[in-house]
Amino acid sequence: MSASSERWPLRKLIFDTLFFAYGVALFADALGAMGVSAFHFTQDDFIQNFSHYATFSLLLTGVMAIVALVANLRGWTTPGDALFASPLRKLELSARPWSRSPWLWQVVIVFTLTIVVSVRVTESSIGDLLDADGLQGAWRLWSGLSQPNFNLLPRALALAAETIFIAFLSTVLAIPAAFFLAFFAAKNLMQGPLALAVYAVLRALLNLSRSIEPLIWALIFTVWVGVGPFAGMLALTVHSIASLIKYYSEIIESVSDGPIDGIRSTGANAIQTVWYAVVPQIVLPYIAMTVYRWDTNVRMATVIGLVGGGGIGTLLIQYQGQALWPEVGCIVLVIAVIVWLMDTASAYVREALK
Amino acid sequence: MSASGSPLLNVRSLGKTYPNGTKALSDVSFSVDAGEFLVVIGLSGSGKTTLLRCLNRLVDPSYGEIDFAGRRIETLQGAEVRSVRQDMAMIFQQFNLVPRLSALTNVLTGQLAHQPTWKSLLGLHSSTEREAALEFLKLVGIADKARVRCDQLSGGQQQRVAIARALYQKPKLLLADEPVASLDPATSHSVMDYLRKANRELGITVICNLHYLSLVREYATRVIALKEGRLVFEGRPEEIDRAWFQRIYGEEARDVGIQ
Repeated sequence: MSASSERWPLRKLIFDTLFFAYGVALFADALGAMGVSAFHFTQDDFIQNFSHYATFSLLLTGVMAIVALVANLRGWTTPGDALFASPLRKLELSARPWSRSPWLWQVVIVFTLTIVVSVRVTESSIGDLLDADGLQGAWRLWSGLSQPNFNLLPRALALAAETIFIAFLSTVLAIPAAFFLAFFAAKNLMQGPLALAVYAVLRALLNLSRSIEPLIWALIFTVWVGVGPFAGMLALTVHSIASLIKYYSEIIESVSDGPIDGIRSTGANAIQTVWYAVVPQIVLPYIAMTVYRWDTNVRMATVIGLVGGGGIGTLLIQYQGQALWPEVGCIVLVIAVIVWLMDTASAYVREALK
Repeated sequence: MSASGSPLLNVRSLGKTYPNGTKALSDVSFSVDAGEFLVVIGLSGSGKTTLLRCLNRLVDPSYGEIDFAGRRIETLQGAEVRSVRQDMAMIFQQFNLVPRLSALTNVLTGQLAHQPTWKSLLGLHSSTEREAALEFLKLVGIADKARVRCDQLSGGQQQRVAIARALYQKPKLLLADEPVASLDPATSHSVMDYLRKANRELGITVICNLHYLSLVREYATRVIALKEGRLVFEGRPEEIDRAWFQRIYGEEARDVGIQ
């Protein structure tokens, strides 16, 4: 670290500013929760007076920036210190007893206040939980679920098979694309300016596509190819490609360099080096991760069925909509057995491949 | 064969500074004639490994010139570097075989540079190639392990497979980077004996990094010593007396024998 970053620890100052501002806002809100302060606001109030609150937040942040600066000049220990301090300063901080570390007290106070505010925002209420009508309703639903209507079993099984096939095909279709692209997403293979640029672009695209939930992909594909298993399969394929590339490239990054050096030293070209030094090291972990992906896809295919992606999820949403709880009970049972079987089988395969 | 009169390898003022600022090699010059068994000694971190890796361009040197078999090689790129590596085989302290492949397949990788890429992707080897590779496993006394996966072999056996892979390249020069540092004394001698056999019987020039002076005295025809990346000694093994030893390894150092 250079001297200027010691005297002007930018990351620490930004963190402290945001931390203090958040703390004060929390404090105001928590006070409001107890009906004492004028800062108390409801969501409607917040939406209607957004510009008012935005101005207030900016002002608060500005003031807290000054507080953070002063704290830095005076050498007070702050949470930002604990996170971003130089190794020497960290050593000094860790030598103090916890009761004499102000930053720790600040973190504890903010954590407690966050719990108070969370309880309020989530509208948590013991009263609702123990409400007599509510309890009765839940009991009715539960007793319906616990007496499954097994007349539905053949249909549930047929659609469970559909779900497994959706998961299987989406996994298989994702393998070749992921296998090929994973090499370009592994940092240890992508050396040199051009290779690193390809790596960075691919990683960015991957993170983007993985941040889109398969549920969203399913919505897109139900519009594109119509409601049904095909849409669900496509949605899972897209998501599986991104996930498998991530798993695969991490496996590639963990291979040992020795064999790579060994094969390169014989005069082999890049493709031969990958094929002879990298691929033999990754085959078994790849199979293990792919089986795990299939297992995950079965669970996801169930959820995707809820939005029209076919399979047993579609059946579940139909009966749930009509509040036919014994039928729903049968479906839930089939799903539980399938998920349990897939989970056990994939764990067994992964153990055997170790 | 190098052109008559000129050495097989000629290194002039070679230097390597790593991106983190470490000066691994500074201004190293030496040459090696065909048929020599040159040993490089020096403390860990003195630059021995970097030196060998600069020669076959697993590491790019920062400055200096390298002539090998009548060719300037320090700035070659791509296919030309690979053709140099084909002529300059290397064995490593950690053997660097591919663990999940059989001993024979590992030896066969020695000829990847002469194979079209599509053929090597399919793993096609003619029976002549297999027999040739097996011959080299016989040469290092390990033909009975040809079908065994390399991660099932002991350290000494793996290093012999690595020697077989190197010899199957039919190199002019063999680079050995601390080939016995991970092995017990008895195995060390057997591995060094195979290197000497390659040197004397197959006429392959050897450059070998070593730790133990007793091995140096037994196997080297000539010695160079590195200290903090600089060449501090060049001569015959018997010239390394106590005074030289302490200059190379430091005042505190004491010679540890390997019997």
